[in-house]
Amino acid sequence: MRRRDFIKLNSFISGGWVLAQLIPIKGFSAATTDCFQPSPLIKLCSDGKIVVYVMKQEMGQGVQTSLPMILAEELEASMNDIIVEAMPFDSKMGEAFDTGGSTSVIEAYLPLRKAGAAAREMLIAVAANEWGVSVQECRAEKSKVINSINNKEIAFKELIGKAASMPIPKDPILKNYKDFKIIGKGGQKKANIKQIVGGKMIYGIDLKLPGMLYAVIVRCPVLGGKVKSWNINSIASVEGIEKVFEMKEMGEQIDNRSGVAIVATNRWGALKAQRLLKVEWNINDNAAKVNSQSYAAKQLEKLKGRPDIIYNAKGNIVKDTITKNAGFISAIYKLPFIAHATMEPINCIAQFKGGKFELWGGFQSPSKLVAVGSKYFGINSSDIFINLMPMGGGFGRRLNADYGAEAMLVAKEVNKPVQLMYTREDDMRFDVYRPASTHRLSAKLGNNKLPELWQHDNVISPVGDFYMGMKGNPFWLSIEAGGGAYGDMYYDINGFRSTVTRTEPPVVVGWWRAVNFTYNNVVIECFIDELAKKAGKDGLTYRLDLLKKLKTVKIIDGSLYDPRRMEAVLKLAAEKIDWTKKRAAGRGVGIACCFYNHAKAYTAHAFEVSVDKSKKLTIHRAIVATDVGTIIDPDGFANQVEGGFVWGLSAVMKSEITIEKGAVEQSSFFDFEVSRMPDVPKLEIHTIQSNEDPGGAGETCVPSVIPGIMNAIAAATGVRARELPLKRLGYTF
Amino acid sequence: MPAYKLNVNGKDATVTVPADMPLLWTLRDTLDLTGTKYGCGVGSCGSCTVLIDGGAVKSCLYTAAAAVGKKITTIEGLSEDASHPIQQAWIALNVPQCGYCQSGQIMTTAALLKTTPNPTDAQIDIAMEGVVCRCGTYARIRKAIHKAAELSKK
Repeated sequence: MRRRDFIKLNSFISGGWVLAQLIPIKGFSAATTDCFQPSPLIKLCSDGKIVVYVMKQEMGQGVQTSLPMILAEELEASMNDIIVEAMPFDSKMGEAFDTGGSTSVIEAYLPLRKAGAAAREMLIAVAANEWGVSVQECRAEKSKVINSINNKEIAFKELIGKAASMPIPKDPILKNYKDFKIIGKGGQKKANIKQIVGGKMIYGIDLKLPGMLYAVIVRCPVLGGKVKSWNINSIASVEGIEKVFEMKEMGEQIDNRSGVAIVATNRWGALKAQRLLKVEWNINDNAAKVNSQSYAAKQLEKLKGRPDIIYNAKGNIVKDTITKNAGFISAIYKLPFIAHATMEPINCIAQFKGGKFELWGGFQSPSKLVAVGSKYFGINSSDIFINLMPMGGGFGRRLNADYGAEAMLVAKEVNKPVQLMYTREDDMRFDVYRPASTHRLSAKLGNNKLPELWQHDNVISPVGDFYMGMKGNPFWLSIEAGGGAYGDMYYDINGFRSTVTRTEPPVVVGWWRAVNFTYNNVVIECFIDELAKKAGKDGLTYRLDLLKKLKTVKIIDGSLYDPRRMEAVLKLAAEKIDWTKKRAAGRGVGIACCFYNHAKAYTAHAFEVSVDKSKKLTIHRAIVATDVGTIIDPDGFANQVEGGFVWGLSAVMKSEITIEKGAVEQSSFFDFEVSRMPDVPKLEIHTIQSNEDPGGAGETCVPSVIPGIMNAIAAATGVRARELPLKRLGYTF
Repeated sequence: MPAYKLNVNGKDATVTVPADMPLLWTLRDTLDLTGTKYGCGVGSCGSCTVLIDGGAVKSCLYTAAAAVGKKITTIEGLSEDASHPIQQAWIALNVPQCGYCQSGQIMTTAALLKTTPNPTDAQIDIAMEGVVCRCGTYARIRKAIHKAAELSKK
């Protein structure tokens, strides 16, 4: 049951990209007119260009750079010949287009290699035939086949006509990693970089269709509130208003809010009307009383009661907690709601014609949009076609179907192409937030001063309640349970429990870059340091002691956790920060680590910090040590690691969404604070060279940033911060 | 609606737009210069930064009327082919991730290098603080600004 559930998760979030789906597609033929297309992923053209189709969605994480490199490696193509195109959406393979969980490279690695290798073998076979030699006497290099006996060459483009009639090899032989010329080598420029720096990159928000209308929505500030009425006279002065109508709540897994949609012939008119329209709402009195303090107090109160669900270390549901005995050390941590705030505000263009929808926009999970959209409108999934656009940031926000589904509803209402845009204010007030959580960590130390009993109680609004529409589902609750079977706890502790208790949130919650690790890993790694202090040991030694006896284990998702790789990144980070060096008074070093299980990545962050009398935090040094197996594009990987650091910095220093009178208080970047250039110190990146299969990058280097800094602050000041963001505790930066 | 004679990227253009419409939307929706990005509309993110007579201005807080008689430069006007030293520095250091904020980062840099051809890290931090990047490319932007300063001298 649990295993099957996980597969569901894996295919939902990251798209079950199985080779069988792709090579070859049923009924797919290698022969096309003047091109050779041995797989849907690749097309060799007679002009020498090699088109690589990328099914994963580009949102800055670099799939349009890294994925073509994998294919070009096996094909022995020259990167200069490669043209990258987004694979046109096909609802029959919807999940293969889904992008999240830092799994694009992991999933695509073998299929792309096999697709490249199959094409290479076909091209070599044709050349060998021409020359009358065996295929063993030929090799491919830089988009050519070379006769190893006499060094004669034929370009791929000269071979494609005949290659198209060759059988597609089922089990092509893959290259040895020692022979890699592209994978893991530097110097790769990011795809589309000239368009980006020239201002010519077209994101969804930049598209304009002939006759397109502009839509915005005035929403009820309080969750669950409904439209009572609106006064159309309040926007009488605005030119170009086409239609004003009620935006209905579209239900589970769309999770949009009640509001009034305004459609105008021009964007400025729509935006002005959004500000001017007077709307009366039916708001539940209790909902309108909730604020951040009362919600945090409710979570704290819930910690006193019996948890909704209790897991042991294997992830099995059990009846008993273990904290009844005396002698426990415990600490309570509080973490806030946080918004995604993608730089490109959320938007989607939709058109309804002949009973079918055509959409233009950036989506991390087009399969989800098609699934919920077809259900809502009672149409076939093939009646929805999405023109998938590059995204100005995703971070989990664009996994959600709300904006796509609403755009469809508006398009159906006006019968013209229409662009629905959430303004920045809408985006901040009506996001699907990283859930706020309250954690109690409890441990009992044994004679060796290491924890022999451990319990983690998490009070939270589970993401699965919304994203999956599965309220209280044990599997989705288990993801919120800190540690144990789901993999975000990786120390050797015998008696283990983790518990989850649900609270009804005042906002919709959702996946946020590095998901449950951004709370569970944070509090676990902080509490480990608290225990180390009690034990009179430093944070590094204590962690290594906890890992020492642990052997490689298979965790619930079927992936392997190798504690030796964790030790290696911890030791590397410690060495680079000069862990044992005596520091001046007021300086402290801290370390934290993370095994990001579904992206097979091991990370340790180490920091040296000081805090002055006015509580100004200075990060003197920032180190990251990572082991993600084979790295495809080293510079693209480094960019992700740097970005993950900044994402973590925002969360630890400044970012929080607060609630007052049931409504989100923040509305833009002046009140929802994120890291800006002066906040960001130099990050020293150290990578373990590895030939293991690749892991992911986008999320894996986020989590341990946060406890790493919190641990360094505790070392520098002797004061443990147990609440985030630090801004809330009076820290400045 | 009033008509305004603007000079954008060296070319004259007459636009008829509402007097209160921010220059951002005139550039994007009227003149189809979509390289200038909408990020917040209230001057808190810097994605929409353009040059007005060489100085960095957040176009969401500016109007067409205010721009009359001035030279507006957008990212599209920096060069035809990404050959401007700042763009070249950005390419050399592989700066962008999603790329959405980079027009604002680059235009803010253009204004900085005009007044401060050899900026220190501290000067860069002050000049760039107003431009948000959620992907977190700040460290590369800082390096790229130094590189652009170098390339500009050649």
